[in-house]
Amino acid sequence: MRGIVRLAVAQARQDRWVLAVWIAGAGLLGYAMAAAVGTAFGGEPERAMIVMVAAGSPAFLFLRGLPDGTGLGEVVFFQGFSFTAVLAGLMSTFLVVRHTRHDEELGRSELFGTAPISRSAPLSATLMVGVAANTALAMVLAAGFAAGGLPAPGSVTAGLAVGAVGVFFVAAAAAVSQLMPSGRGANGVSAALVGLAYLVRGIGDALGSASDDFLHVTPAWPSLLSPIGWGQRARPFTEPDPVPLLVLASAAAVLGTGVVFLRERRDLGASLLAAGVGKERAGVAGQSLFGLAWRLQRGTLAGWSAGAAVMGAIAGGLGPMVGQVAEGNPSLGDLIGQLVPGSQLDIVDVFTAALLGMAGVLAAGAGVQATLRLRAEEDEGRAEILLATPRSKARWLGATLAVAGISVLAVSAITGAAAALGLGLTEAGSHPAVLILLAAVAHVPAALVFVALTALAFALLPRLAAALGWSLLAAGLVLGEFGEMFRLPGWIQELSPFRHSSAMPVEAFNGTGALLMAAVSVAGAGLAAYLLGRRDLTS
Amino acid sequence: MNPGPPPVVEVSRLVKDFGSARALNGLDLTVGEGEVHGFLGPNGAGKSTTLRILLGLIRATSGAVKVFGQDPWADPVRTHRDIAYVPGDVSLWPNLSGGEVIDLLTGLRGGADQSLRRQLVEDFELDPRKKIRTYSKGNRQKVALIAAMCRPARLYLLDEPSAGLDPIMDAVFRRHIQRVRSDGATVLLSCHILGEVEQLCDRVTIIRTGTAVESGSLKELRHLSRTHFTVLGLSAQDALALLPVVHGVRTAGTGVEFDADAGDLAAVLSALGGAGVAGLAVAPPSLESLFLRHYRDLNGQVL
Repeated sequence: MRGIVRLAVAQARQDRWVLAVWIAGAGLLGYAMAAAVGTAFGGEPERAMIVMVAAGSPAFLFLRGLPDGTGLGEVVFFQGFSFTAVLAGLMSTFLVVRHTRHDEELGRSELFGTAPISRSAPLSATLMVGVAANTALAMVLAAGFAAGGLPAPGSVTAGLAVGAVGVFFVAAAAAVSQLMPSGRGANGVSAALVGLAYLVRGIGDALGSASDDFLHVTPAWPSLLSPIGWGQRARPFTEPDPVPLLVLASAAAVLGTGVVFLRERRDLGASLLAAGVGKERAGVAGQSLFGLAWRLQRGTLAGWSAGAAVMGAIAGGLGPMVGQVAEGNPSLGDLIGQLVPGSQLDIVDVFTAALLGMAGVLAAGAGVQATLRLRAEEDEGRAEILLATPRSKARWLGATLAVAGISVLAVSAITGAAAALGLGLTEAGSHPAVLILLAAVAHVPAALVFVALTALAFALLPRLAAALGWSLLAAGLVLGEFGEMFRLPGWIQELSPFRHSSAMPVEAFNGTGALLMAAVSVAGAGLAAYLLGRRDLTS
Repeated sequence: MNPGPPPVVEVSRLVKDFGSARALNGLDLTVGEGEVHGFLGPNGAGKSTTLRILLGLIRATSGAVKVFGQDPWADPVRTHRDIAYVPGDVSLWPNLSGGEVIDLLTGLRGGADQSLRRQLVEDFELDPRKKIRTYSKGNRQKVALIAAMCRPARLYLLDEPSAGLDPIMDAVFRRHIQRVRSDGATVLLSCHILGEVEQLCDRVTIIRTGTAVESGSLKELRHLSRTHFTVLGLSAQDALALLPVVHGVRTAGTGVEFDADAGDLAAVLSALGGAGVAGLAVAPPSLESLFLRHYRDLNGQVL
């Protein structure tokens, strides 16, 4: 046991800055959300209005969660819980994979394996660090909520709800790490599980039934399949209920014990999904930088594409239900009409546009991830042997960025195609399929800006490339999703590339914005190539 | 001196700083055409840093670097056309097979000599279908060596090339170095194993904390080294009184051991002749002693 604690301290020390940023970021977000809702919807009537609109709009329910009363805390929890829970989930999965499969793949675990500690001690230590990190996150988040003006008891329960979801994903990522042969694969699958939890909760919430006064929504059964759905059931500001959180903690404990059991019985380096035998010779494509970049990315791109297809299918498949809800509630239609004067928006269109906007973020994520391979190749020493051949750094960067661009386009197009197919099959949409496809692809220029920014970060500050690339995307997402809510000045909101892509089919296509974003991307990539040529290869 | 062909590698007063740490501190290194040059030094002496600068992967802080008469940082692509490189820490793509990595790396250099590739895969007994993930360290080293050597190059830069190879594979490696040498290629190999250098190299540069401390042919360097004597029937006190010029006198069993400079050999032998020794063993100067001498100097000890 002392060995486990010692390992846990060593791992926590190694991660102290990364974890501090995640945790402080979550606390800040909690404070900002509470303060923003307090300012924008200070009075009960305003809050009632937004809650009623949200309760009647499956798009809102899908993206945010369940409205549950009109108090300040209730509204903040409804607006921010799902998003914060996703952050806690990602913090947890990255943390666990970093210390388990990733260390094992790079051979670091072998050193520990020879020490007089049990085979599963490093894993137990990581689970311990994960629980501690999520406890800290829960406390800091609660402090953020309370500082933003929310009632203290509810703030603590809300923080614990987010922490409990994080702890569940600590155990889930540990399980995935036993199954996947590589750290990258384990990271991808675990992060996808977090995304899936968000989506499943979204489906359950979107299909939920509203109370008669439209102030509460009871989720449908799919929410029970998602840990984020369970966390939401704690209802911290309405009727605090610790049972769902205990369910999450018990599930995590059972899963964690099972994983430790599995690790005790597994060879070091072995995995359930074993690496097979490869080809004896490379084809013509396998002898080029582009071929290599494609080869390295294609498996991951398949994962992104699957996510995109699910997202598009939800946009298309839920459309008709959204339409029915709106038809059944003429008063709701009036309410939306009052809130957005002069606009008679088709509620299906709003839903489609919102989901395709999220797909734009997904596409940007695929592009950022593909671009960050440059850093992994450099950091892990493979760039050295590659660039010792007569190929310039600029060509290497170009080949990788080309694959990143293809990833962005593929994810966008697949979402659009799936959405168009879904809307077509259910005959809910009033637009031709091509328009839906174009609506998805309209986000490509904005997504490419993030690819170029990540490339610039890689060229200028290689050691911070991953942190910068993902933070910029997160910042763009927060500005896009929460910019209005935080009442940020217009020019700050304008900084987000997503503000310049068109929310088709609600808005018309903004050609100038798309051209501007494309030009920024190309210029950024060119500058990155120039700067990369001027700097040392660093590990 | 006759002018001869210009050196393939010419480095003078090379300095490289990483932040506040100085990795290379005024290094001089010259490698002539067709030479197998050993680059000898302990871990962290700056060998890999030098090779990376020669490839233009990192930039010199100051000093002059010429490879084939060109600055490698200014135009690395042009320099790389004639270079084959094996990095010190071979890191490859885990989900590619060994054969695919060989084809990728040689393909980027313009394609392998197919018969040579077959020969190398056979000689090194590599299974090219296995994924890099499943290879041992030695097998990954073989992949990098095959990729470097299956397309002829003018200059081979090899950073601790035989690390991880077993003695049989090491012999295969040395055979192929002899082959490229007879083809007229130049080889610069870094190493901290002396046997390797003694068997392979024409010339040696010894580097310590970023500075070349010695450079020359093995014969020249041996001159600088000391011959080792083991004498029976002589006490350490006797030896010190009799032989004031020798170094590192110490008692060994019933006799004494010491080292003598090349210039003092005649004096030592005549002194021993009159001392009535019971037994005598003389070992030629080894690179080992030369090497150790340079590193012991660090601590102020003299061998």
